Amino acid sequence: MSAVQRGAIDGVALATSLVLAPLDAWDRLANVFQSRSSLQEEVLRLQQENRVLKGQSQRLGSLLAENARYKALLNSARDIGDDLIAAQITSLSPDPARHIVMLNKGVNDGVTEGQPVLGAEGLIGQVTSSGNRNSRAVLITDSAHALPVQVNRSGLRAIAEGSGSIDRLVIRHLPATTDIRVGDLLVTSGLGGRFPHGYPVARVTEVITLEGDAFATVFAAPSSLLDRGRYVLVVMWGDLEREAAP
Amino acid sequence: MIERTQALWVIYLSLGVALMTMLLPLPLEWRMLRPDFVALALFYWVLALPHQVGVTTAFGVGLVQDLIEGAPLGISCFGLMVATLVLLFSYQRIRQFDGLQQSLVMLALMVLSLGIEGWLRTGIDLPTLPLTGLLGLAISMLCWIPTRHVCRQLRRYYGVV
Repeated sequence: MSAVQRGAIDGVALATSLVLAPLDAWDRLANVFQSRSSLQEEVLRLQQENRVLKGQSQRLGSLLAENARYKALLNSARDIGDDLIAAQITSLSPDPARHIVMLNKGVNDGVTEGQPVLGAEGLIGQVTSSGNRNSRAVLITDSAHALPVQVNRSGLRAIAEGSGSIDRLVIRHLPATTDIRVGDLLVTSGLGGRFPHGYPVARVTEVITLEGDAFATVFAAPSSLLDRGRYVLVVMWGDLEREAAP
Repeated sequence: MIERTQALWVIYLSLGVALMTMLLPLPLEWRMLRPDFVALALFYWVLALPHQVGVTTAFGVGLVQDLIEGAPLGISCFGLMVATLVLLFSYQRIRQFDGLQQSLVMLALMVLSLGIEGWLRTGIDLPTLPLTGLLGLAISMLCWIPTRHVCRQLRRYYGVV
């Protein structure tokens, strides 16, 4: 990416923030007047959530170490704990045919092209271009996007394509006799080296097999609600890890 | 009294404001309903001042539009330029039309420009507008008369010639 391209992205982000400034100011004002009790409630809720998460992660450390030992025994590439960076979705591309969002982190923060973007519940997209302080990411539901996935239950690999509709991914050309069921979790398979292995992507909602048809069509709903939540995580998954990936 | 100069900045300011409306936030599924003020403002100025605003301006506007959308640079330029050219060939006749007729002409021009853009997008395997996008065109058409009114007031007040 040249300096001009990076500057262009930052410029668009700056113009957007100027246009949005009155709305943001209103939001901030509303926050100031948020009642004390509702804030206390939220703190309590977050504390509880934090306790649960901490409890769940207690065993994670030992499991990771165990996993690393097994991997060492198998002589395979070591899974590196992925570094994450929190970013905020600042705007949505006005192009109605695409699902492109602007994030408020850029090259200066270490966000570069090709890095996966996570929502609260799973993968939501990847960075396509980055400016110095902002970057653009394409969502997995964009109809120009496709990613390699794996059925968590059976290990079956497939390609999940975006459908252009925010709540749906499509898997085409699966043999009609394939073992895939409604409710199956799809995770990233790590093939192709673009996404790290094992992040949840979507859950199968519909399997269509027509009588006499050689292929089934599978629909899946993204795990993370893509049109909600302004906060996302960018996985610092650099070129080194990508080369080391299976 | 306001000094009657050429005041060309009014043109670029109004085009800039039209481009800004693209940045206003809309829910994901509603984006196609956004009126295309950029094309409408551009077409107004071509219609009113064809010796000032023409194909080059259309090219610049298209470029900024692509930048804002994050689309490949230049993909919407060609459509806007062709539509502007059509307008340049026939502005004298279109000026005589009443509001409804002009709205229909603007609809035709927007269909032409978006059609060319869609054709280019198909050529490089980018997603094109779904059919519901036609609803946005209808809304844009309805916005022609208000846009024309505002731009005309601006043009007269600042004496843009």
